[in-house]
Amino acid sequence: MKTKNIIHAYKQAPWRQQLQWIGIFLLILVTIAAIAGVYLSLSAKAAVTGRRIQKLEFQISALELEINDLASQLAYASSARVMSERAKALNMKQRDPAEALYLEVPGYSPEGFALAPAPSVDKIPSPSILPEFTSSLWDWLGDRLAQLPESAESTPEAQP
Amino acid sequence: MKNASWTRYILILLVFVLLSGSVGVRMISIQNIPAAQVILEKSKNLVGVTQTIYPERGSIYDSQGRLLAGNETVYEVGLDLRSIAQPETIAAVASSVLGLDYSETLVYAKTEPIENQKLYIVLDSFVEKEKIEQLELIEEDYKTRPIGKNETRPSLEGLIWTPYNKRSYPEGDVAANLLGFYSFLDRVDGRGYYGVEEAYNDLLAGTPKQVYTPFDPQKISSVEDIPPGASLVLTIDREIQAMVEEQLAEAIEWSGAESGTIVVYNPEDGSIIAMATTPRMDPNYYWTQGSVFPGSTPFNRPISETYEPGSVFKVITMASALDAGAVKPDTIFNDTGSIMVGGSTITNWNYGAWGEQDMTGCMQHSLNVCLSWIATQLGADKFYTYLKNFGFDRNTGIDLGGESHWPLKLPGDNQWYEVDLATNSFGQGISVTPIQMAMAIGAVANEGRMMAPHVVKAIIIDGQQYEINPVIVGNPIKAETAETLTRMLVTSLEEESSVALVEGYSVAGKTGTAEIPTPFGYTSSVTNTSFVGWGPAEDPKFLVYVWLEKPTISIWGSEVAAPVFSKVVQKLVVLMDIPPDQIRLQASAEDH
Repeated sequence: MKTKNIIHAYKQAPWRQQLQWIGIFLLILVTIAAIAGVYLSLSAKAAVTGRRIQKLEFQISALELEINDLASQLAYASSARVMSERAKALNMKQRDPAEALYLEVPGYSPEGFALAPAPSVDKIPSPSILPEFTSSLWDWLGDRLAQLPESAESTPEAQP
Repeated sequence: MKNASWTRYILILLVFVLLSGSVGVRMISIQNIPAAQVILEKSKNLVGVTQTIYPERGSIYDSQGRLLAGNETVYEVGLDLRSIAQPETIAAVASSVLGLDYSETLVYAKTEPIENQKLYIVLDSFVEKEKIEQLELIEEDYKTRPIGKNETRPSLEGLIWTPYNKRSYPEGDVAANLLGFYSFLDRVDGRGYYGVEEAYNDLLAGTPKQVYTPFDPQKISSVEDIPPGASLVLTIDREIQAMVEEQLAEAIEWSGAESGTIVVYNPEDGSIIAMATTPRMDPNYYWTQGSVFPGSTPFNRPISETYEPGSVFKVITMASALDAGAVKPDTIFNDTGSIMVGGSTITNWNYGAWGEQDMTGCMQHSLNVCLSWIATQLGADKFYTYLKNFGFDRNTGIDLGGESHWPLKLPGDNQWYEVDLATNSFGQGISVTPIQMAMAIGAVANEGRMMAPHVVKAIIIDGQQYEINPVIVGNPIKAETAETLTRMLVTSLEEESSVALVEGYSVAGKTGTAEIPTPFGYTSSVTNTSFVGWGPAEDPKFLVYVWLEKPTISIWGSEVAAPVFSKVVQKLVVLMDIPPDQIRLQASAEDH
């Protein structure tokens, strides 16, 4: 009887228990909603980014086409025939080798023409093995002894 | 009671197992029926699209980076049948701007779309940018113009234009024989023909790729990058090429020749500086090929047309004889005006007897009798071994499409007769291409080293320029022989006061006049006139080979081809920045 009374004393009221269950349910619901919200947000961002990538790629393609087109237009505008006509219109004539004045510029050598850089030669990384793994005990001792006089010379400077 | 409950439970379980099992079996069977594959294929069209992307064709530049072949933007105009709002408006605009037939366009615009079969119709291809700008203006006007309450706003919805590359050759017909052309009208199977476009077609074209693009934007992580085809940097200089072509046109007009060829070759590395020939066509209009090159007219004579070169070939004979020690420069030959070889009598070009001549004299007066005697002194075996070493039995391997050669007749062949040794020695009875001659004689100009002729200097792949190294294809003669012969040919030109001489520059060279074989024998009235020369003689930077076919002004190479050589070299030294000998040697002496 006494035990029963104690249980009764500590048992929560039914309305309180209901409230707790509702709280737990709501907590789970909010968690699920939050996860869903994050998922939706991220997937929306991914979709927007995907479209943006596509759009940028289209822009790149369009720009490449335009660059090619402009390069062609420039080449047409400066073609040999056009330039020759312009030179004639400006009353220019080809240099006569007999009249040409040649000057020697010391150290000058005409550089070869390049439209793009030469392929880079990637250096093969040499294996970086520490000396501890390659030197013998005697080598190590020798190195230490060789460093001794340097240490001895530098010591007095460090003293007050 | 308890057992009855268990039986019920097991029965219900069995029912569920059977139901789910049958659903599973049905699922597997549906996935494997033939119709399932069709459905699968169709569903792919709903989730994405697979396209073949053709890379942008690589460009071609001259040695100074001037564009010789590139790409310009043109447009394809088409109809998206699903989104056409006003067929009449589209037909009217397409008719006025693009010049298309109104009623035909209207029929296309009213075509009902068929899902997965007919959704798009091409109206016009290769539309120029100016016309597209007009369409854009009209579209903008339709969108913004004020309209009344009862009026319908005009719309071009459904009319779409897509840009793409078209091959273009900004220099027109300049260097067209070297470049070849790309059949750009065929947008799927287009390829390069002749010249560099053919020889390097695969590199220029790049590798087409199948690219899948999903409709679901979430599945687009990256769009595959399609690298363009490789670009080429040629050895030719546009300015020199244009100049040589101009000189050739003038020479043909002046001499009345049927056709002509001039090759400017660098004997030091085998690079082609210029290669002009006739006829040429503008590769922007490559469909005119049939009318520009009627019958068997070759596209690029210097590499694909063989001819009997005549006396320019004496350079090869003399080089071989000097190198083998059969003769020396001061060997004296008494020219009696004729010589019997293989039962046939060989005479000189003027049927004269020139008396005692040293080897320089033989070259200077271009004596057939002397050169025939030299060939007999050398012997057939050695003579033809030298010809093979000079590369006359094969293609030069120049990196241009369409090279050919005439098989070399050798002792022992059915077609070879003893007299051929004599006639071959002065360039008759043997057929060669100008590029074979340039390469072989280039060895004389380059201390005996024969360089592979080539027109591509470098290849640009993935933004990096790979230089092509010159290739030595042989050492047919010794350096001393080359030097001796060059000196002899300088002297022979100077002593005869040849019109080939260029003031201020020492040049070595040899004329050539060849009778032309016909089904009825050789003709003397029409000839092939040639000249080969190189300079500056001490340090050659160029070798110029001139060939004018059947000139009417004169039959002699010394009167037709030699002055053309001189004119070309006078302009060439300016464009190549080669100072006159006096200045060059003075500077060289100061350096040392």
